[in-house]
Amino acid sequence: MRARLFDIENWKEIGATLARNKTRTFLTGFGIFWGTAMLAILLGGARGAKDLLMRNFSGFATNSGIIFTGRTSIPYKGHQKGRYWTLDITDMERMKEAFPVLETVTEQYSSYGVSFRNGKHSYSGAVMGASPEFTDVMVPKIYSGRFVNQADIATERKVAVVGQKIVNEIFPGDPSPLGKDILVNGVTYNIVGVAGQTNEINMGARVDESVILPSSTFRRAFHRGNNVDLIMIVAKDGVSIADIIPEIKRLLFVRHTIAPDDLSACDIFDVSERFEMVDNLFIGVSLLAFFIGFSTLLAGIIGIGNIMWVIVKERTQEIGIRRALGAKPSDIIVQILSEGIMLTTIAGIAGISFATIALGTVQYLTANEISTPRFQMQSVQAMTIMATFIILGTFAGLIPARKAMNIKPVEALNDK
Amino acid sequence: MISLRDVNKTYPGIVPLHVLKGINLEISKGELVSIMGASGSGKSTLLNILGILDNYDSGEYWLNGTLIKDLSENKSAEYRNRMIGFVFQSFNLINYKNAVENVALPLFYQGISRRKRNNLAMEQLDRLGLSDRAHHLPGELSGGQKQRVAIARALVTQPSIILADEPTGALDSTTSREVMELFKDLNRRDGMTTIIVTHDPNVGEQTDRIIRISDGIIR
Repeated sequence: MRARLFDIENWKEIGATLARNKTRTFLTGFGIFWGTAMLAILLGGARGAKDLLMRNFSGFATNSGIIFTGRTSIPYKGHQKGRYWTLDITDMERMKEAFPVLETVTEQYSSYGVSFRNGKHSYSGAVMGASPEFTDVMVPKIYSGRFVNQADIATERKVAVVGQKIVNEIFPGDPSPLGKDILVNGVTYNIVGVAGQTNEINMGARVDESVILPSSTFRRAFHRGNNVDLIMIVAKDGVSIADIIPEIKRLLFVRHTIAPDDLSACDIFDVSERFEMVDNLFIGVSLLAFFIGFSTLLAGIIGIGNIMWVIVKERTQEIGIRRALGAKPSDIIVQILSEGIMLTTIAGIAGISFATIALGTVQYLTANEISTPRFQMQSVQAMTIMATFIILGTFAGLIPARKAMNIKPVEALNDK
Repeated sequence: MISLRDVNKTYPGIVPLHVLKGINLEISKGELVSIMGASGSGKSTLLNILGILDNYDSGEYWLNGTLIKDLSENKSAEYRNRMIGFVFQSFNLINYKNAVENVALPLFYQGISRRKRNNLAMEQLDRLGLSDRAHHLPGELSGGQKQRVAIARALVTQPSIILADEPTGALDSTTSREVMELFKDLNRRDGMTTIIVTHDPNVGEQTDRIIRISDGIIR
């Protein structure tokens, strides 16, 4: 070995032996190439797919919940079953007092089939009522201007944050109609912002397709009194929404005289649970990807071992000649191993490169203004894959190389 | 140069085969000898032992003042490389290496630099009149040329002895004569100790001494 590893003859020899049977070398190399590419694409793809799915939640608070009301299903304290009930502002105040673990308790209203008008342009869509705390739950995309603020709420200002799609429809050619008026069901509101939505979660309506009024203004305009349509909550870090859901229900059921065991009267949508589900799903997907990729790779490596075995068999006489001329067993082992390692390395690099290009293409195609899903491997991951199979490739070559090493020059020379 | 004292070799098996039954042999420096015997006489085994390609069970084998006995794989590889030049019946050239590369191969295993070993190899080819064939592959050479390349390969390490196993066995009579002339020439000019194993009486006659072996014993 010594400096011989760096002797050009050594490399020429490896090149020559690999080139002698091009088809076989190619097919063996392809096994490794495909295995590496598969593993890399699956791992990178799993990550990208997760990002792609998570995009649906982007801008949405992870540790949050949404409280809806339904019809009661159990008669209770003189009330018939099938009763409708509504949440109100007092519920929110009580919740804030009772649950200091909640960072945000905020209300939201929606009304549908409302007409919007600007001069001769008109459109029909949804109106939302919201407080500034709305942004704690879901960060809307502000194209221009601002969102609803505290002063709007306090003075019931007649201002509106208009969804981007509606702006496009009724203010053609003016993407930022700040300070202009919009007629909502015939009432004039001053536009203070243009907003959109980055995720796919609909609460009542999409921000892009609605006009958002300050909640106090909405209550007055749409005759809600003290009622609220739904309550959104955000828990502090480390607090599980699922843990406090029963207590919230108990509080609401007592206030609204609902049977404590009524299952359909109130529905609390736990967002954190959905996030967890996606997380778990992708842990599974990643494991599966790893398993499939690794198996493919392993098959490729076994292929290398197999082919090295054939090569050793074929070259028994040549190895015998070399031994007779003074090659030490270690010289032979180095020669056979170098061939395997060389093939593995080249095919592996090709595989990783191919995977990088493939993932890069998918990333380019799926990227949009909201986010670029990371269809990519961390370089550490790529290095680990490379290192792992170079080591495995070496081991695969080791068995045939040992066989070659044990060839006695006499036997080999007689093998004609 | 070579001294064998009561060398025995038995191949183990269900019926153990006692091939060499106490070989005593002295070959001096500068001798050109032939070993002759029928197949099964033990001459191949003797050749393998002389060439450090195989072990023997008892006795002693001295080569150029070194006891060749119970050597490790590495040691015997080294001794083969430095002390023995092999010439085979079927040439045993590596078919994807050209003439110079084939001749230089034993030097590769001595760790000699590429430039130096190619120069030494060229020198040998030149001496044997093959410099114009230096960059040809074995497949592009005639039988006689191949055997001369193989002889150049045997000589390149300046070994103590040349061991030739039926060196003319695969050659026609004219070429055989040429190759034998070459061996005789090398022996006369350079005093190269040469041992030729053959069953061809014509080849045997051209050597200084014929060692006849039959049934594992030198007669």
